[in-house]
Amino acid sequence: MNRETRQDFVFIGVILVPLIILVGILIYLPALDSLLTSFTNENLRILRPPKFIWLKNYSKLIESSEFWTVTARSLLVVVLTLPLELFISLGLALLLTEAFPGRAMVRTLIILPWMLPPIVNGFLWGWLLNGEYGALNGLLYQLGFIDEYVTWLKNPDTQVLWVTVVQTWTRFAFPTIILLAGLQSIPMDLLDAAKVDGASSWQTFRNIILPLLMPSIAVVLTIEFIASLQIFDVIWTLTAGGSAGGAINPFTKTLMLYNYELVFRDLRIGLGAALSYLILFLSLGVAIVFVTRLYNQAVKT
Amino acid sequence: MTPSFNRHLIKRICIYLLCAIALLWAIGPIYWIFVSSVSTRMELYATPIKSWFPSEPTWEAYIRLFQGGGQYRGGNVSPTEGLMWSGLYNTLFVSIVSALFVTFLSTNAGYVFARMKFRGRGFIFFFLMLMMPLPLWVSIIALFFMISNAGLIDTLSGMILLFIVFLLPLGIWLMSTFIREINPEIEEAAIVDGCSRWQLLRWIIYPLSKSGMAAVFLVSLLTVWNNFLLPLIFTRSPDSQMLTVVLSLFVGQYEVAWEDMAAAAVVTMLPPFLIALFFQRFLIRGMTLGAVK
Repeated sequence: MNRETRQDFVFIGVILVPLIILVGILIYLPALDSLLTSFTNENLRILRPPKFIWLKNYSKLIESSEFWTVTARSLLVVVLTLPLELFISLGLALLLTEAFPGRAMVRTLIILPWMLPPIVNGFLWGWLLNGEYGALNGLLYQLGFIDEYVTWLKNPDTQVLWVTVVQTWTRFAFPTIILLAGLQSIPMDLLDAAKVDGASSWQTFRNIILPLLMPSIAVVLTIEFIASLQIFDVIWTLTAGGSAGGAINPFTKTLMLYNYELVFRDLRIGLGAALSYLILFLSLGVAIVFVTRLYNQAVKT
Repeated sequence: MTPSFNRHLIKRICIYLLCAIALLWAIGPIYWIFVSSVSTRMELYATPIKSWFPSEPTWEAYIRLFQGGGQYRGGNVSPTEGLMWSGLYNTLFVSIVSALFVTFLSTNAGYVFARMKFRGRGFIFFFLMLMMPLPLWVSIIALFFMISNAGLIDTLSGMILLFIVFLLPLGIWLMSTFIREINPEIEEAAIVDGCSRWQLLRWIIYPLSKSGMAAVFLVSLLTVWNNFLLPLIFTRSPDSQMLTVVLSLFVGQYEVAWEDMAAAAVVTMLPPFLIALFFQRFLIRGMTLGAVK
């Protein structure tokens, strides 16, 4: 080895080795450790040495009704949030590709909610929706839509709906940015040609813009699926009842909150670790399906 | 007036109308929380007609919050004295220090991946990146016990360490793509002149990738500032609780009065708000890549 390559070798080592060790110890090792724990019946409430029980935690979860209630609720949040977000962000992206004075300012302001701490967003909307003094009540009253104040968050059946509204508010800026970039990559002459051929705005949108936007939409749906499946902060301050160690409101308990409860309140470490891996597989599964479809589409066209 | 001019005008009006609705949706809630924090009690709790513009703005809620602590919804002073100060200090310290570390570590690593050829490069890059899109929840459970055993639970250095590790993949990714776009001729000339790799990094790469480094720094700062899950799990006393946790305590445990809560929320979101307002062009790319988190 000559002097120069040896120096390079030291240079690379000094920079990369600490990072490899850090990531190895603080990400891979605990991930592996959790996987092993998920095969044991470790429970810190009960003083007993953890026993290896193979896949019993997984089967216990899959057989429990609470797991399915919580999973169904999480999927409900996803199913309600995704179309809402897509609708708002697609509309905004189409609006903001038009050229008009003040567009840059609108773009900047629209993105703000996404950059704020989600924990603040949960509180913010909780206050907005407050039944006694809330601004939404005030607004609707003044506009004549309601005669008396409504306690929006009281009803357990509709709490999940509000969770999706706040999640949408927190996240819609990201899809808007991606779709805006997608729209800008559509060649202008294609749209001009459509206009010359006498296509209506709707036809242009339906037959040219939407198909070309499909890859961006797929990206958006994948990422927003993972984000809303793992919703946590927003619920914590909006409806969870939000104090560490305290009871978690069962009507808005989603997968992540359930997982937090199992591990850090009930101290059922084995079961919680198993759940965390189920969540991981669920997110990964969907991500892979979306990405392969996206890939196929890209190859075909 | 020609018909085409007319159509143009109608379109403009429609656009501005839609923009107004969009802004009401995006900014309205933020506006209201700010108004709530500076309103007098009388106006804030007025029903059924709210006062949308405070007639006599007051900073009382902020003063109360930082001196002696916020009030209970019932009226008495709640045991929150000093929590805002400690939260603000912890969040500032942890976010700035970890963002600085992430920026330098990932610029160095980004340079290595962008410019140097060595065996195992692809594998190491993959190893460092793999966890970026995955939910870190699977690591966190076991990590909690590791960090406890290491005595780093409820310490600022523990928080900084965790944030550095969780932000590194994104930082390295951003910096390696950024450095790849720099013209390599300058570096080649410097190497011919006998510059060592470290000198190269210090005198050529850092100055040339200033805007990339700024982006990584700001994205990291914002991510740490906004994060709630990590401080929730890894801290438990005011010595290291960060602002997001303090805010959650105000909402859940201490039942702080609404106007004081609003002030606390404004304090918690003001830095991200200002950074997002003034440095947005630095943020978009990094935030888009790190969007999953």
